[in-house]
Amino acid sequence: MMSHYGVSPGFQQIMDEITSIGLDWHSEALIENSKKNKPFIAKSIKDIASPQQKKAESAIIISAGPSLYKNNILARIKDSGYQGTIVAIDGSYVRCLKAGLVPDYVLTLDPHPTRIVRWFGDPDFETNLAGDDYFSRQDLDIAFRNNSNEENRRNIELVNRHGKGQKLVICCSAPMNVVERTRAVGFDAYWWAPLVDRPDSPESLTRAMVKETKLPAMNTGGTVGTAAWVFALTALKIPRIAVVGMDLGYYKSDTGYQLTQTYGPLRDKVGEENLKDVFPEFSYPETDEVFYTDPTYYWYRCNILDLIAASKSTLYNCTGGGTLFGDGVVCVGIDEFCAGF
Amino acid sequence: MSELMKGNFEVKRKLAVTDADDGAADFKNEFKKKALESIGGSMVFVEREMLFWDGVENIDGE
Repeated sequence: MMSHYGVSPGFQQIMDEITSIGLDWHSEALIENSKKNKPFIAKSIKDIASPQQKKAESAIIISAGPSLYKNNILARIKDSGYQGTIVAIDGSYVRCLKAGLVPDYVLTLDPHPTRIVRWFGDPDFETNLAGDDYFSRQDLDIAFRNNSNEENRRNIELVNRHGKGQKLVICCSAPMNVVERTRAVGFDAYWWAPLVDRPDSPESLTRAMVKETKLPAMNTGGTVGTAAWVFALTALKIPRIAVVGMDLGYYKSDTGYQLTQTYGPLRDKVGEENLKDVFPEFSYPETDEVFYTDPTYYWYRCNILDLIAASKSTLYNCTGGGTLFGDGVVCVGIDEFCAGF
Repeated sequence: MSELMKGNFEVKRKLAVTDADDGAADFKNEFKKKALESIGGSMVFVEREMLFWDGVENIDGE
């Protein structure tokens, strides 16, 4: 059951469609990529050594929302001398390296055939860029927006320099160019399968992938940031886990509806005057700053709240903004978390 | 409308007639396209309770 927060039935109906959209979009790629990746699967996440001492006590998951730079989060973590575990996602990895913060683990899962490799420095940059304006529109890392060949080249060098031996937590659905790129760099890869549905059903997609790859399966909540939280909780068994950069929404103060990806079809569906119904607003409890979300981010939000409830754990949200709060979520400043409040 | 405007000749080029339901289908397709464009780092998600499953042994031999 999804955790809803005062949204209109129409909004909820749109959001519910995202599940089937994801299934339609990814099902084939998940099985196909699992088969292709099988020859490269040497170790699973069960082979990762348990973290020790401070690394076993707490973790910070670094997602890639705009709050990461707006709130200067990476510099604050680095300056604090934080000694716990750091898990970056693919979209925040380069930014971590630029900030002088080398994560203990990097997690990747999206099967997209041309986009995800860019986060690791794309050797086929120009080919993969053709006809795709995703990076120009995304708000995860603005340094990627100008699609600069020079920026990509610098990222290749940066990842080449730091990636060798870096623990990569890689989903069996990863596209071949991400597998090839990370193998070429020398990442230390630990594989897992995405737990997308009930594996006890004979028709289960999860079951099919596990059968193909012999890997343990981990829930993702539909997005890489949530998958990183599940990894820290279930595979590393770390009891205190914080997330940063997990906005799951837009800053109302500087992001108009027209800048969101689904503005056009939603406006056509409900009319300009009713747009507020499909972009529900939230005030972040720590600051009272207003954020709004769209069906996709709201879907992610519901998913992680449901998984937090199912795990009976507490998630410390140190994002400093966004829409992630509710039962099981404690909003706290990143400086306080790093100081071990 | 098509019942009222019957011509007395055959047109060379056949036109597709839009059903009333096509509006909903168009929205779904457009929304799907836009949602897919925006969801970087995403994954299918249906299961809302189970976080981890190490079921390799259960399905060995299937």
